[in-house]
This record gives sequence, C-alpha cells and structure tokens, in this order.
Amino acid sequence: MMRDGGLDRGQLGVLPRPVRLADESYLEFLEAFRDVLLTRMFPAMAAAGHARLQAAGLPLDDDALALATIQREFAKAPIVPSWQRFMRSQQEMMWRRTRASFAATAAAQLDWLAASDSAGPGRLVVDPDFAVPDYARREIHLQPGGYTDDPIGGIVYHYGTKVFYQGGNDQDELHAELVDLTTLPADGAVANVLDLGCSVGQGTIKLKARFPDAEIWGLDVALPMVRYAHARSAQQQVAVNFIQALAEDMPFADGQFDIVFAYILFHELPIDIIPAVLAQVHRVLRPGGQFVIFEFPSASQHLPPAHRFMIDYDSRDNCEPYSPGFVHADFRGLLAAAGFIVSDGPLSRNSFLQSIVATRP
Amino acid sequence: MHGEARQSVRMEPGPNPSSIGIEIDGPGRAYFDSVVTDNIIDMVMELAAEVWTVRDRQYVMENVLASQGIDAATLIEAHRPTAEEMAARRILREAFVARLLAGFLRRADVAEDK
Repeated sequence: MMRDGGLDRGQLGVLPRPVRLADESYLEFLEAFRDVLLTRMFPAMAAAGHARLQAAGLPLDDDALALATIQREFAKAPIVPSWQRFMRSQQEMMWRRTRASFAATAAAQLDWLAASDSAGPGRLVVDPDFAVPDYARREIHLQPGGYTDDPIGGIVYHYGTKVFYQGGNDQDELHAELVDLTTLPADGAVANVLDLGCSVGQGTIKLKARFPDAEIWGLDVALPMVRYAHARSAQQQVAVNFIQALAEDMPFADGQFDIVFAYILFHELPIDIIPAVLAQVHRVLRPGGQFVIFEFPSASQHLPPAHRFMIDYDSRDNCEPYSPGFVHADFRGLLAAAGFIVSDGPLSRNSFLQSIVATRP
Repeated sequence: MHGEARQSVRMEPGPNPSSIGIEIDGPGRAYFDSVVTDNIIDMVMELAAEVWTVRDRQYVMENVLASQGIDAATLIEAHRPTAEEMAARRILREAFVARLLAGFLRRADVAEDK
C-alpha cells in the first residue's frame, strides 16, 4: 500500500499497520484489554447477574422475564457498571487512536484509493447519483463517520475490527472459516456469488479463493467501504467486483446468483427494510440457489439473561440502533414469507452467531 | 449504587452534529452514580494504555540500539536536551495530559442529569 513515505510502516500480511509504533502499541494494549473484558469479565458479570436473579427468586430460563427486571437485578452487582464503563471507554479509545493514526497519512491514502479505482483485475462500480439513505448514516460501533461518511473509513474500519476480533481475524481467518462453511446448491453449480453487505471485502476475497472460477460481487451501501475493498483486492490481485448499492434495490438480474452470502448484515438494518432485502435476494438467486446467513442470534433461541443484557448494552452504548429490532423479530418467519425454504446452517467457532441456509425453491 | 446507575446516561451530542466523531468526541456515556467515577476510570485506562505504549517503545528501542552496538542507558543519562527538544517534548506532554483529563472535560456538568 502506498502511504506517506515517512510514515508507511507497511503491512502485516493482509493487515495494514498503524502508521506509528506508538499507535500500534496503544491499540495492541486495547486489544488485550478487550480480550479480558470479553473472555473473563463478561462470564464473571453473567454469573454475578444470574446469581442476583436467582437470589430474587426469578428464573433464568423464562423468555418472558422483562429486560427491565434483568437490568434491575444485574445492577446490584458492582462488576456490571464497571464492565459497561470499560467496554465503552476501550471502544472510544480504539476509534480515536485508529482514526488519528491513519488520518496522519490521509492524503496519501486518498491518492492510493483514487489510483486504485480503475485498477484491475476486478471492477469497482459506483453511481455518482447514488444517495445514501439516512438510516445507514449512523456512527455504528461508534466509528467516526460510521461506514458512510469518512473518506478513509475503510482502512479505519479494517484496523478497528482487527481490535474488535481480538487479533483473531488479522489475516481474515474468520471470514475464511465462514466461507468454508458456505452451503452449496444441491446441484453443486457455483458460477456467480454475491457478498451482501461486504464492508471491506474480507469475505468477498475469501469467496474467490473458494470459488476461483466464479464471478464474485461484493455489495455495500458505503462508498468508503467498497473503495477500500476494491483497492485491497487490486493490491492482492484478486479478481472480485465491488458495487455501491442498496441491498433493498439491487442492480442485478433475476436469477443471477447461485449463492448470496451475508455475514452480520441484518442486525444493522432497520427491521422495516428487511422484507424488501429478502425479496431482492429471492429475486437475484436462481432456483435452487442458497442464501447463506451468519448473524446475531434471535430472541426465539432462548437467550440467557446475560446475553439479553449485553445485546441491549451493545445497541444503546455501542451504536447498534437496529439490533434489538432484528433480535426480537421472527427472522426465519420473514425468510419463509419471502419464499425461502429455511434450515439451520453449520455453526462456526463463534458460538454467538446463528447460521441459517435459506434455499430459493 | 442504585439500580438506575446501570442504565447509561444518554447525553446530547456535541455542538457540531454535522461532523464525524459525534460518538467519541461528545459527552459519551456515564454508568456510575457519580460521573466522577466514570471520569477516573477513563483517566486510568488512558494511563494504562500510555504506560504500555512507552514500555513497548522502550523494548523496541533498546533492541534497535543494541543491534547497532549502542549502550542506550548510559547515553540517555548523559543526554542534555536543547531548547527546541524541550519545547517539542512539552507539546507531547501537554497532549498526553489533555487525553488523561478528557473525561472530566467532556462531562463537565452532567452528574445531576441522572
């Protein structure tokens, strides 16, 4: 990657390095801090909260238990506000430092994106008249400018999610795992694949590795994401195509795709948009085509109180405004109503995610 | 702590909502009965991150210098900064202090909102 000569510290495999050692050290500290928050402190918080519920004579396995009751009882354990404070603070610190680091070379990065826009082997398709809907212009996960409004948001998102995944996705390992778990159509024919809500194209590139002879498209609402995704794929000389477009209004032909792949897209869509997206996916899949979904859990999966507490926290305090609408919707019912045959997909190492395979009859 | 303390305090975004960074630059969230507790935790986290950053740099620096046959510890103690270097270090120091105290500044008067 061409960044400012004096500050370009290159890449670690397919991961960009922050432009100064001090930024990298600071962010590695936050990554280690986050790992403890999630792997050690969250279980301790869950145990404490569940113990408080039981002490109050309340059941842990009753889906009718009100969220407000869970919050009231969890609040009695001092670990709970501490965990919330730590989570919010590390996330704010992570974005401040990540953005400040890459902003130091913003001009060179924008030059690199501009030079890459028309580079091959894949294509970048952008409609200059495209209008980003207001619902997408939120600072999701607290990222400055969100997906849509920061011209260098692609590289900022890429490194920010490196910290989010606690170092477990530095070389796109998680995306590779999910792509490897992708269920094929019954006839095994895979000539066209769509990565729906592709962000920086980590899954898109892995789809090409699994289906080297197929035409692969990545679609996202955010220009900073698809521009960075395209530049990254050109840098790696991977022939995948990216387009800025709406999932609810896709410019693809009827029956174009054998597989549509969607990783953690739907919890970031307003619930009233989702039926239109499902109708579009049904339209662009050919008969027998597979819609492969890895996503937040649904409340119908009988989530323990601590998970309900965390999802609510994440929605309110990590700017996930639409996730409660998704979690409490009958998502499988919406898929069936759109005409899909819905079945469970293979589970990944991330036990938080649900896996669904929806087949167009 | 009473129960409501665990409900984060929602605060209005900063004065320029058209710019990016409303979430991380605005008043953020508070979780404790006293917002001062939130501010102190922010300060401790900033301190911890800076301590690690310095330790990491020192580790790297000593390795780099040793690879060049340089005894850094002795040279550092013998070093006498110029006025320009002192001014540059002052800028860095003031930025660090500003980051440490940012929590107190961004939530200057919200404790009563809870």
